[in-house]
Amino acid sequence: MSSRNPSYTNPKPCKHLEDYKLRHGLSGYKSIQKHLKATPHGRTSVEMLNAGVPRCNSCNGFQGRLYLCLICNSVSCLDHTLLHTQSEDGHDLAVDIERAELYCCVCCDQVYDPDFDKVVMSKHNMGVPRDDKHGDESIGERLVKRRRLGLGVAEELVDLKKSKQLVSMRDRRDKSCYPLGLRGLNNLGSTCFMNSVLQALLHAPPFRNYFLSEGHNHEACQRRSGDRLYRYSGDCQCIAHRVFSGLLRSDVTCMTCGSTSTTYDPCVDISVDLDTSNFSPTDIVNKRSKPNENSSISTLLGCLDLFTRQEKLGSEQKLFCETCQEMRDSVKQMSIRRLPLVLCLHIKRFEHSPVRKMSRKIDRYLQFPFSLDMTPYLSSSIVRNRFGNRIFSVEGDESDIITDFEIFAVVTHSGTLESGHYVTYLRLRNRWYKCDDAWITEVDEEIVRASQCYMMFYVQKMLYQKADEDLSSLPLSPRRDAYLPIAGCCERLFK
Amino acid sequence: MSLPNEDNMASQLSSHFFGDLLDSIIVDVASECHRIARLGLDRNLEDEEEELRLSAQARVRVADPSNSGEANSKYVVDIFGQSHPSVASEVFECMNCGRSIVAGRFAPHLEKCMGKGRKARPKVTRSSTAAQNRYSRGSPVSTYSPYSNSTSSNRLSNGTSGVAGEEYSNGTFQEP
Repeated sequence: MSSRNPSYTNPKPCKHLEDYKLRHGLSGYKSIQKHLKATPHGRTSVEMLNAGVPRCNSCNGFQGRLYLCLICNSVSCLDHTLLHTQSEDGHDLAVDIERAELYCCVCCDQVYDPDFDKVVMSKHNMGVPRDDKHGDESIGERLVKRRRLGLGVAEELVDLKKSKQLVSMRDRRDKSCYPLGLRGLNNLGSTCFMNSVLQALLHAPPFRNYFLSEGHNHEACQRRSGDRLYRYSGDCQCIAHRVFSGLLRSDVTCMTCGSTSTTYDPCVDISVDLDTSNFSPTDIVNKRSKPNENSSISTLLGCLDLFTRQEKLGSEQKLFCETCQEMRDSVKQMSIRRLPLVLCLHIKRFEHSPVRKMSRKIDRYLQFPFSLDMTPYLSSSIVRNRFGNRIFSVEGDESDIITDFEIFAVVTHSGTLESGHYVTYLRLRNRWYKCDDAWITEVDEEIVRASQCYMMFYVQKMLYQKADEDLSSLPLSPRRDAYLPIAGCCERLFK
Repeated sequence: MSLPNEDNMASQLSSHFFGDLLDSIIVDVASECHRIARLGLDRNLEDEEEELRLSAQARVRVADPSNSGEANSKYVVDIFGQSHPSVASEVFECMNCGRSIVAGRFAPHLEKCMGKGRKARPKVTRSSTAAQNRYSRGSPVSTYSPYSNSTSSNRLSNGTSGVAGEEYSNGTFQEP
């Protein structure tokens, strides 16, 4: 397993940066602050207000990168930064004018300082969340509360071993070669769509554990009574939402002034478009020079990159900018503010063409990982990236956010839009089982990797590992007879 | 017609500017990647590449006909000892109308039976009215429904056989 990096690290400063900070503190940064110019694209540059083209003090050159000394404000080109340092003692630190990055002239390397980044970020308008349904409570507070609740639920659902209702089921079979709880589902007439999803839900660790441990009170269940009070799923605390509900963040940025408008929307699954880019990481790794239809591959990470990419809204979709007080071209970007316990990813394989009034299915293969790290798609990562990855605390930066997921179910579709078949692959105790309605077979991991995925179910890694342990002692409801016959398959099982 | 020298200079200048622009872009990207790497923000490329490799390998192996694939013919029985194809041939009683239905045809039957189709038969037994009361009132079930025979005869469609005689189940509430 790889060592995970925290969301951002403060790199150790070089000796020269250290010395500079000791001697000058933040004064150099503050003096530069008024010269910093923020662009609506999240970039920052330095603009010396005394006009004219900046030129190198030593050679009068104006081409290439120019660096502004933090102490004396003299400008040097890359060839002469060392010269400046040698002629003026202690003038080691400079700022790249074009990118507002710190540069150590002695180390000849870009260096980083959280204090400097903070100054840079002060020039950017980070935007204000617009969704204010809950009035007084700030969205930050609300989200922290919800997160605590979510984590608490996860722990409670996972802690079943301590529950008195746990009954270890005596295994009557001669060879206990497959996990308990695995059953086929009869196809009741084109119900494979339902069977597939049911299989995934039945084996979602927190969901399954909840129902098996008497967590669900059938009589009192508000869903059954048709009581539709809880429309806003952000408030709903039913098991389905506690397990599957996450929060998506949508940022719309004005391309003229850079001000951003943010909204949050709950979701129970994420639908992504297929990433049909021409270049793939393998192309670059294998040094292929030409994009080739055969060598490019779509990946789930590519789809998620696409989902969280900055998307230019067309000119017919101009939005009203509060700051500019005009209709402006905008850029939209999605990110994930809060991840659910179980992440359900849906691939949009059905393409509708309004022009031709036809729909078709996209059969393209999609590579997906078994272990998924969702860090790059979190709002904190996306927003930070938008502003050049400055060392700066972004909303949602809690270091204890869980982002490691393990896959446990894959729903595949074969066939066409008009006629097809859904099959689910389940991962139990690191073995894969193909659930084709009532027909359950064990399959190699490779079959699953090579399959045409349609929906993928990932669960937080910690819950997945616990679930593996739990499978040997499955909780049972004391009310029900362990040998309740289910149509068809169990009679042979319990002979 | 411009002199060849002028042409030379023009193309030299444009090459020069292009070179400058290209340098600037390259340094931009290098600076960005440098920051990402130093701050530890880069994705774990090794893990990603490993997953890609495993998938590519899997696809090759699965596509190879010489490998014993997961073609259905490989398995004569599934893990429960059933033989394929398993047609849902069990017969049971529909909880709505009480008819005996073959499992594999239950979904289309239910569609018609529960009121979607033309031949809808909303079967009103004591248990199903009790269920309806529960849903509409949100209160606990009472076994004795005030809406027994009178409404049921109104709602019955033109007397299809098998329905008339089964208005009263024997009191136990069936869970759908």
